[in-house]
Formats: sequence, C-alpha cells, structure tokens
Amino acid sequence: MRRVAGLGLMSAAALAQATWAPRFEVGGAFPNLVLAAVVGLSWTLGTRSALVWAVAGGLLLDLTSSGPIGPHALALLPGVYVSGFWIRNLEHPNAVHVALTAAVCTVLYSAVLVLADDLLGTALPAPGAAVQLTIAAAIYNAVLAPFAYELVRRLQSLVRAAPQTS
Amino acid sequence: MQGARAPSRATGLFVVLCAATLLLAMLSQQPWAAGARGMAKSALAPVESAMTSFAAHVDRVAAVLGDVSSLRAENQRLRAADEQLRRQIVELQASAKENAALRQALNFQKSSGHRMVAANVIGRGPDGFSRTMEIDRGTADGVQPGMVVATGAGLFGRVRESGPHAAIVQTLGDPQSRVNVYLSTSNLQGTLFGGPTSLQMEIQHMLGVSASNGEWAITSGVGGGYPRGLVVGEVASVMHRDTSTTDQAQVAWVNDPASTTFVLVITDFLPS
Repeated sequence: MRRVAGLGLMSAAALAQATWAPRFEVGGAFPNLVLAAVVGLSWTLGTRSALVWAVAGGLLLDLTSSGPIGPHALALLPGVYVSGFWIRNLEHPNAVHVALTAAVCTVLYSAVLVLADDLLGTALPAPGAAVQLTIAAAIYNAVLAPFAYELVRRLQSLVRAAPQTS
Repeated sequence: MQGARAPSRATGLFVVLCAATLLLAMLSQQPWAAGARGMAKSALAPVESAMTSFAAHVDRVAAVLGDVSSLRAENQRLRAADEQLRRQIVELQASAKENAALRQALNFQKSSGHRMVAANVIGRGPDGFSRTMEIDRGTADGVQPGMVVATGAGLFGRVRESGPHAAIVQTLGDPQSRVNVYLSTSNLQGTLFGGPTSLQMEIQHMLGVSASNGEWAITSGVGGGYPRGLVVGEVASVMHRDTSTTDQAQVAWVNDPASTTFVLVITDFLPS
C-alpha cells in the first residue's frame, strides 16, 4: 500500500511537472513538484526511503525531458543525502526547516543537473542564466515544499489507517 | 530516532544509486539505445496528453470563475444568466483563437511549399535549463530527429528525439539552440541562440550598415540547419559594441512557447 501510494504521488508530481508546472513560470523558473515531494518524503519517511523515491521520481522526469535517462534521478540524490544529516537530528520540523531543505536541494539539484549535462554533452545554459534560474527555482520550491510536506504527512496517515494487505 | 548505522547505510545506498543512475544516463545516451529510449518516453505520452487537455479545461473553468468573482456586485437575478453568457464567450473566444491559429497554420503550410505533419503539444521540459516540448507525433507519423518544427507564426524549433507516437522538440529558447538568420531591412547576417527569457542574436558587423529595432530576423539557410525564409522574430533592442566584431541584439520571438498548443513538423527537410 505504501509503495502504491508513493508511486502514485511520484507519478502525479512528474506528470503535473511536465504539463502544468511550466504554466506558473516566473522569470524563467517554475516549481519542481517532484523535488518538493521528495523533500516531503525525506522529512516523513527518512533519508533511505527518500533516496529510492528520488530515483523513481527522477526517472519519471527523465522520461518527459530530452536527452538520456538518468540525469534528473542523479540530480535529486545529493540534496536528499545532504539534508539527511540534518533531518536525522531534528525530530519535529517546522515549515522553515522544510523550506530551507527544499532550497538546499534545489541548489544541489541544479548544480548536479548542469554538471551532468556538461558531462553528457547535452544542453548547457550560460552560467549567469543558470545561477539566476537556480535562485528563482530555490525560492519557488522553498515556498512550495511545506505544502508538499503536509500533503505527504496526510497521505502517510491515510496509508497507515488503511487495512494492510499482505 | 534512527539507529547509529543509519548514516553509513544511507551513504552506501546513495553511492550505489548515484553510480546506477550515472551508468544508466551514459548507456541510454548511446546511439544504439535511441530506439528503446524513444519507446520508453512514448509510453508516457497518452497520459501527458490527457493531463494537458485536462489542464486546458481547468484553465477555461478558472477563467469563468474569475469572471464570476468580478460580477459579485451585480444583482442576484442576472448572475446565473451572466455566468452562462460569460462561459459561452470564453468558449467562443477560445474556439475563435484556435480557429485563427489553425487557419494561420494552414496558410503557412500552403505558402511554404513544404510537406508537414500537424502535432499537439502534450508536455514541456521538467526543468528550467532546457527548453523542450513533447508532441503527440512520432516515427509512426514520419517524424524523425532533426526535422524542423514551425507554427503558423514562424520557426519554433527542431525535433530532438522521436519515439513511435511522441517526439521531443528542442525549442529556439533552449540554450543549445542555434539558428543562422539575416535581418529583413539591413540584410545583416547573424546567429540567434536561446536564452531563458528571450532570444539573443550575435550580428556580424558590416561597414556603414547597422541593425535597428523592428527589423525581422529570418532564417538564412546558411549551414543547412534550417530552410531559408522562416520568420523567427523581431529585433527588440540592439547593443552596439565598437570593440567587438559583432553587435548583440535581443529578439522577440514570434512564438510564445507558453501558449503554443500545436505545431507543424516539416517532414521534407532534414539538416544537411
């Protein structure tokens, strides 16, 4: 049940990312719904589970983008791993903690994505534009992440309450 | 609270997943994997198509609701009728807009003399760095990587990858996009490249001639990447640089990727 809910969440986030999110573009940046969901999962399920879900969500993003399959999955991992050191030592996060995690994850995600693009020889933005887009996306995702965290928490409560099938 | 072994176990998993995704990226980039990659990407196309049309539906409903909220001050008796009329207007406006765009595309198709395949935009690139779009036509419809994509207004981009029933288009806004163009009045040549908010153009200097605002940038056909004569955009501003061999200009693209819902793939022209 937990896996079905997780897969449903990631699929919905990735599809909404490829179809709806670009409609909310501000200054060239738009929210990353998969990243926001992964941040929510990091705070609710822990780092190891979030790493696995980050790969699942990243692969779905890769299927909707051009180029090889894998860069988005790879780019989501460092943020989850690094924020894990903080998450492990904090029992009751508030919205600011979650927002800061999303901002850090966005910066690492963008940096790894640009590095992966460079390594694989695919589309590479100009450094100035990349920094500008990253800052805008970090703010955007930081605003969005607390809502995603709340959604994941509620989803987790629903899954726990549902009768378990073995 | 998690156990003491949690950090090292997370580190192990992190390293394994990083290695696996990097390996997958490198393998899936190989030319022999293009078919499988295209098929995998095509698999999501029907769901994306359904979600995109649902999003368009939500937009219409939102437009109606926006109108309704602005009419709250009006009397109760007229509200229902007004809402209905407004919904009809929004729907008619949307239909008229779509009709105009389709007519423009049809005229473009007739006048250009190229063979084309019409396609709906069903998805957009998931990150802000690459500016791509997914369309609902693929190799089964004759759409191949490298083919030029246009709208009734002008040049839109190029097919980058193609699966059986979907393809990914690299728009002119993508940072990797390069188009050789000339300016309609001054005849100056240059190269146009993508940017996050607008198209940038490097204009080659020519003695006694300078570019000016309002000129049209049109594909020159130089390099064989695009057919000659496709409109790209209008020069919005020019920055003269005496110390350089080129001037820089900002070009207002004739296409707005945010509102583009269908495109035309030119199937009888492939880059040389």
